[in-house]
Amino acid sequence: MLVTGIKSKPVYAPLRADTRGHYHLMLGKGMGNVALMRVLGELESAAPQALARTRVLLIPAELSATPAAVSGPPPESPAAAPPGDFAALGLEELRVFTDVPTLLRDFRALLEVALMGTRLYVAGPESFIGLAMKIALEFDLNKDEIRAEELGTLARRVYCIHCRTTTEEVRTNIVRCMDCGNWLLVRDHYSRRLAAYMGVMVDAEAPGERPEIKEVFL
Amino acid sequence: MSEAQTLEVEVTAIEQVTPLIKHFKLSPVAGGSMPAFSGGSHIVVVMRTPTRVYRNPYSLLSPPHSLDSYEIGVRRMEESRGGSHFMHDQVRVGMRLEIAHPVNLFALDKIARKHLLIAGGIGITPFMAHLEDLHSGRVPYELHYSVRAPEHAAFLPRLRERAGERVRMYYDNAGQSIDFDGLLSAQPLGTHVYVCGPAGLIERVTATARDCGWPDSHIHWEQFSAPPVGDAFEVFLARSKVTVHVPPDQSLLESIEAQGVEVPYLCRGGVCGFCQTRVLEVDGELIHNDHFLSDADKAKRNTIMPCVSRARCKSLVLDL
Repeated sequence: MLVTGIKSKPVYAPLRADTRGHYHLMLGKGMGNVALMRVLGELESAAPQALARTRVLLIPAELSATPAAVSGPPPESPAAAPPGDFAALGLEELRVFTDVPTLLRDFRALLEVALMGTRLYVAGPESFIGLAMKIALEFDLNKDEIRAEELGTLARRVYCIHCRTTTEEVRTNIVRCMDCGNWLLVRDHYSRRLAAYMGVMVDAEAPGERPEIKEVFL
Repeated sequence: MSEAQTLEVEVTAIEQVTPLIKHFKLSPVAGGSMPAFSGGSHIVVVMRTPTRVYRNPYSLLSPPHSLDSYEIGVRRMEESRGGSHFMHDQVRVGMRLEIAHPVNLFALDKIARKHLLIAGGIGITPFMAHLEDLHSGRVPYELHYSVRAPEHAAFLPRLRERAGERVRMYYDNAGQSIDFDGLLSAQPLGTHVYVCGPAGLIERVTATARDCGWPDSHIHWEQFSAPPVGDAFEVFLARSKVTVHVPPDQSLLESIEAQGVEVPYLCRGGVCGFCQTRVLEVDGELIHNDHFLSDADKAKRNTIMPCVSRARCKSLVLDL
């Protein structure tokens, strides 16, 4: 009983370099770093001087808490773009993180001083993209300035519409709200402002009657 | 906009504010207040002369919160087709004029983190109304205002009163010019730029902003240019079954209106796309002068903006 076909569900496309941008700011997590490496290669061949105006903030795959990606390359594919590969590129700056909140804190600080002409690239699990987008939105960055590619787990951030708590890392169609304990149906209805999918009480009309719980967001 | 929606106003004050610009105050004939508007809006003034009717758009420069009257600024155009000369030479205090309701095609972005306003000459007028909103808001802004010489700096005392040092003046005769590269390459993320003035200024700002990596969604401009002149031609209106002669100095839209056929319009400047009309047949060349249609649309030869575009043709049939 997954509710699908809702327009607010974000759709991402493979990252492409935007050479009209004057500055490039890239965020990567886990397998997303492979996409960043690809787009950096593209940028280098289109506008070699652009790398010196590119900042990369990343969480390496081996440090990333997410399990192996279902949609990512098979294990024997080129490793998950380790930080060393980025360090060799002559970027303006490379910062390596071990957790998302710290990376996002630095990201926000960079946006505070960033100039018009900046392009943002985000690659990684959807929840990571959503959190970065939420911050970008506060700085009035719009779809012309942001590109994102989804790579990694589909686990969702789920916002309980009853108690307004967000439950992280949700992999099932129905989840118990970590705060109020209601059983929530995870909808495709997405809020960019909250960076979360809406969760609505699944057994409100017939308490205790819940459909089968399935792992759907792997 | 159709004629049924115009309202009658009385000219209650006229002031010559610079050698070329007159400032008009328009008040409701029957008392009461004018329709509400937002900063950046324009009205269309209908001018009925013995020989023809002009409909010219003018930005409202009065504060949006004060609706006892509207104020507009009209620059006398050297090569006027007649509209600005009519406003300057014929309009007197106490006269009645017909205007179309305000329309806003140049609003401020509501979620911008900073507004960068750039005005050239008479292009200051929409910003006068914007400043009233910006004055009471928290979003930072700056206004860069370029004029030929100090005596041409219309409304400067009022601007200073509202915006103080956030108004930066540039006088051509003193060799001062806006450092477009410097300005547009150093704006914080979330800035929106707005430009109003001569075509050259608008092109310069939009091109420089794009070079600095600004996306089009952050670049806003408005210009009310007079419809370009051209060769005379004939057009047949298929649904109305009338043939209209378009003289060299009258626009296609004006010529159609003169025959009593109404075409919906908003900006009359080739920007908004409201008057877009289907071309059923054309034997010759369409001369597209608008900023609305894409090159691909223009190449299809099946649509035209009659407010500014013309034709050089043996025959033209429009779906009107």
